[in-house]
Amino acid sequence: MSSKSKKWFSLNLGKKDKHSENGCGCGKTSGGCGSHDLTIGEETKKDGFDQVFDVKMSRRTAFKQLTASLAIGAGAISTSCSMISGDETKEQAQIDWEEQFKGNYKLMTDEEKKATVDRLVRSYQLRTGKTLNMSSKNAEPDVLFGYAFNISKCQGYMDCVTACVEENNQDRNSQMQYIRIHEMKDGKGFNFNEADDNYYHEVPAEGHFYMGTQCFHCDNPPCVEVCPVQATWREDDGLVVVDYDWCVGCRYCMAACPYDGRRFNWSKPEVPEAEVNKNQHYLGNRMRKKGVMEKCTFCVQRSRAGKNPACVEACPTGARIFGNLLDPNSTIRWVLENKKVFRLKEDLGTEPKFWYFMD
Amino acid sequence: MHMNSFKWFVFAAAFVLCFLSCKQHHDEYHGVMDKIEAEGKQYHGVSVSSEDYLQGIEMIEITEGDHTFLIPERKSHIKSFKCTECHTKPLKELQKGLYKKAHWDIELDHANSNTMNCITCHDANNMDALRSLTGNNIDFNRSYNLCNQCHTKQFEDWKGGAHGKRIGGWAPPRAAMTCVNCHNPHKPHFESRWPARYNTQKVKERE
Ligand code: SF4
Ligand code: SF4
Repeated sequence: MSSKSKKWFSLNLGKKDKHSENGCGCGKTSGGCGSHDLTIGEETKKDGFDQVFDVKMSRRTAFKQLTASLAIGAGAISTSCSMISGDETKEQAQIDWEEQFKGNYKLMTDEEKKATVDRLVRSYQLRTGKTLNMSSKNAEPDVLFGYAFNISKCQGYMDCVTACVEENNQDRNSQMQYIRIHEMKDGKGFNFNEADDNYYHEVPAEGHFYMGTQCFHCDNPPCVEVCPVQATWREDDGLVVVDYDWCVGCRYCMAACPYDGRRFNWSKPEVPEAEVNKNQHYLGNRMRKKGVMEKCTFCVQRSRAGKNPACVEACPTGARIFGNLLDPNSTIRWVLENKKVFRLKEDLGTEPKFWYFMD
Repeated sequence: MHMNSFKWFVFAAAFVLCFLSCKQHHDEYHGVMDKIEAEGKQYHGVSVSSEDYLQGIEMIEITEGDHTFLIPERKSHIKSFKCTECHTKPLKELQKGLYKKAHWDIELDHANSNTMNCITCHDANNMDALRSLTGNNIDFNRSYNLCNQCHTKQFEDWKGGAHGKRIGGWAPPRAAMTCVNCHNPHKPHFESRWPARYNTQKVKERE
């Protein structure tokens, strides 16, 4: 494979020209290029990268060797604490390596999805000694998720918010919350500018009503359009999801969302080990990292299993209704067809699948 | 002539192209409502079910109008059922003051005393059943039939699914709380209370 016939671009890492046997890359066979009078031995001393890459080998073996050397390096550190952990460290390094180079979840085959989920579970086991359950369940045919919110019923108790935080392993330090409950004054309409979404007094407060917002899972989501790396997309059951491992944290989607639906991890999200919800989905409540976007997923780990999202289950007033829009007998369809429903900023054409109604 | 047919060709090609690209770039529906209606016509059911989540809850199936769904069985949850185990004598006699007082925990706060008292709902002659306004028996398990005598609008919404709370999940079979699972029939309103949480971080950010 001569470098001239190559049709692709590659980094020139550790690749020396054929004539570099002579000791320098200047092309001259005798002194004069400047590097010939370096200290003796300099030309034979290679760094770790060169040691691996200066040998003729396929890309695959190169990766394997590199991983192995990484593992040995990491192993050397940890063996000073424990003698038996060597194998596990190696395995962890192998997992980290494969995770680093995996593709976009959106484009993965079912096997690849399963493989990444298995790696993440194993990785968690290796790190914490505890196990968890992670699903890669796809959207089901004949399902389109929709949500309805009864403004007359919401009393502002915020049980939904607490349930959501616990269910979805949201960062406790920054008090990240997907749901906001807005306390609005009667007679002022839906005035989000004057609404208080951080009240702390007995509720419901005299002369006020309450309205919840979260990601509305728009059927025509502007947040998806703007993502430069396609790390966020609309699934077939209507859920708008994020691949936390593909997201580069540019926050374009956050700017594009007209509903304040997205939340960004400015710091490393932390959840006390005892409080981690171990029933997870790759696209849902699995642990996130610093610098990635997240948002409500209608609890994909629950909804794809037939359950209601945690907020629906937690609401003591029955203000939250969830279901399958394609099922003509579903309760959500009854609400849409029999109550006077509306959506926020309907004129934008985002087609949110989140309706409001009153008794 | 040559030019003319060429023109036609371009015209036709442009038309076809436009048609194709329209199909590609736009949804076939004008909005999500149209889509739901159209795609819902070929609904074949789903493979997930709520049945697992209803395990351990005793349910009864009811059919009201066009709606058939499950509600929790009630009688086994009433602590002192059967009522006739204590109510051996007619209510009139019990109320004469000769016997120990009972039901201390029950305070009636439901409509005013002109409209309602105990025997608006309870049958003084048969304490094991409820009684409709016209004197018919209503089983404790179907107490919603008592409530819907006045609360007709809520009843319609409940049947359809706009009022009340689902049990299990969204997937069929549909199971819902009945009136008395959320409302204390003797004091049906919801109390005011403190919200479940307070977001101190946000307050800091705002300062
Ligand atoms: S509410 Fe915002 S984040 Fe959610 S789908 Fe719509 S545009 Fe995207
Ligand atoms: S923050 Fe992540 S999901 Fe959002 S637009 Fe940027 S890369 Fe895409």
